Amino acid sequence: MTRPFLLALLEVKRFLADRGALAFSIALPILLFALMLGVFGGETSFNATAHVADLDGGDAARKLIERIEDVEGLDVRLYTEAKLDDSLGRSAVLTGFVIPVGFTAALESGTPAAIRVKRRGSGGNAGQITAAIVQGVADGFASEYELRRALAALVSNATTPEDLESQIGILLADARREPPVRVVDDETLVEQEEEEDILDRLLPGIIVMFLLFSVTLSAQTLIEERRNSTLERLLTTRLTAGELFAGKFLAGVSRGMIQTLVLLVLAFAVLRLAGPGALAQSAVLALVVAAAASAIALVIATVARTDDQATWAAVFVTMYMTVFGGTFFPIPDSGALELLSRFTLNRYAIDAYEGILAETATLGDATFEIAILGAVAVSCLIIARLLFRVSSEAK
Amino acid sequence: MEDFLVASDLTKSFDGTQVVASASFTVRSQEIFGLLGPNGAGKTTTIRMLSTVLDPDEGDIRIGGHSVAGESDAVRRLIGVCPQELALYPELSATDNLVFFGRMAGLPGGEAKARAAEILERVGLTDRAKDAVRKYSGGMKRRVNIAIALMSKPRLLFLDEPTVGIDPQSRNHIFDTVLALRDEGMSVLYTTHYMEEADRLCDRIGIMDAGHVIALGTPVELKTRIGNPDTTTLEEVFLSLTGRSLRD
Repeated sequence: MTRPFLLALLEVKRFLADRGALAFSIALPILLFALMLGVFGGETSFNATAHVADLDGGDAARKLIERIEDVEGLDVRLYTEAKLDDSLGRSAVLTGFVIPVGFTAALESGTPAAIRVKRRGSGGNAGQITAAIVQGVADGFASEYELRRALAALVSNATTPEDLESQIGILLADARREPPVRVVDDETLVEQEEEEDILDRLLPGIIVMFLLFSVTLSAQTLIEERRNSTLERLLTTRLTAGELFAGKFLAGVSRGMIQTLVLLVLAFAVLRLAGPGALAQSAVLALVVAAAASAIALVIATVARTDDQATWAAVFVTMYMTVFGGTFFPIPDSGALELLSRFTLNRYAIDAYEGILAETATLGDATFEIAILGAVAVSCLIIARLLFRVSSEAK
Repeated sequence: MEDFLVASDLTKSFDGTQVVASASFTVRSQEIFGLLGPNGAGKTTTIRMLSTVLDPDEGDIRIGGHSVAGESDAVRRLIGVCPQELALYPELSATDNLVFFGRMAGLPGGEAKARAAEILERVGLTDRAKDAVRKYSGGMKRRVNIAIALMSKPRLLFLDEPTVGIDPQSRNHIFDTVLALRDEGMSVLYTTHYMEEADRLCDRIGIMDAGHVIALGTPVELKTRIGNPDTTTLEEVFLSLTGRSLRD
């Protein structure tokens, strides 16, 4: 009974002994993670562009644009309204601001003014933040106009200090009821799904992809054993073909888990994704995915006769599952992509991971996905064992 | 001496080509039996059948009284196999290789470690036991290859071309080891292309050609077939029986 474990232990020992392969298999996921963090998630300051169409052209509008430009990390790009609409239509811009005609006049006369916001879909995360910043700038800017106008009125009308205080109270209440400048949604051009944080969406897919890569490529170990005659030597010992498969299966799971745990721990530590409970559940889920992938690797190993065949079969399987399993884009509810995604581990694993990483679900909520992954593991193990050439290599 | 291995009418074909044809021979207890033959004669296929890796299409094999077909686990307890290729894990140390294969052969952990140390001493590798095998010379790797086959304390050892591509010192060391093993009671089935090696080591020899065992006997008996055993070489016997045409 211990022979499969000894065989798996040997594989892990060989994996750890090959420092070059170990460095690549651990360093490359870390490098990819660092790149992703740098590109998608590692920014500590905000940088964006406010896309503005100034239809007013007055003094107040010009000064407001200058104030927006003064905000750190925020640039202003000016458009005509037609050009802004065109850019929104092409998704070149997701959020635009229109300063309407009469904006300056309204401010000077004390009439409430509005900056219109045009969005494509939700306007994107950066657009939403920019809109909030523009609102803040506009509030401060308008307050100055209001203060100037109010002071002039107070000085000319107030007769006693009590009268002055009373009028200030009225003005503040009016301002609270109706801000002098409002940033109002003008129109949403195209309804879109709520945009997720790109790193949150990619991370589960990347974890599963690496698990698939590391495990399916371990299909080569059986080919290597065959090429080096160690497979034949093993089959002259008391190791049975069943124990050989169990050992190789455990070895594949172990290799995949070593790599995945590094990536998971790193992701949780650096991104502060969720608590230790979610990390533990993610690791358990990784174990299930690794089991399914390891069993697929055994099918590849029994069918392939050369390193090249095993490598290309593994690459095909991994790429198919990565591309059609929702790693880089969401799976629609119907259609060819939805159909193809059903035959990937990624779809089920990513669904389960998204809930766990967001801490909106637990492993218990992913029973269906785990059952599918487990069924893949069991059925592929049986298929691989049947495919193994009993007549030529095993008793 | 009793027959420890009895192979009767072994036949094996691959894709319609007969590789071994009605081959019959025995290996006695405490005997070094040489299986000689040109390339493609069927020696390796025969060893694969004898060592439980391959099922014969026809024929019967009994080792230590057990049928290879029906009692493969019992047979595997009795045999050690040293294939022609270096069947080991080069990134691991000699000790790790030996202990692993010992465990696969059913030895408990402590016993496997003790046995590995004992065998490494026997093959002269104690000083390098902890080094990765990939750093070894060709001769040292060959010795590890043999050492692994000895881990299960076999009563019958299969040595398939164990001295290919090594220096005279290592070859000599292997000869001494094989002879010592025989003297300790082990049976050895030995294949080689080197006729002087077979002449020096083997108690009896079977010559295979085109899947058939075409001659059986002691080196002296075989030499007597074509001339004076004192002046005739085993190579002359071999060429006389198998012909001089080149083999693929």
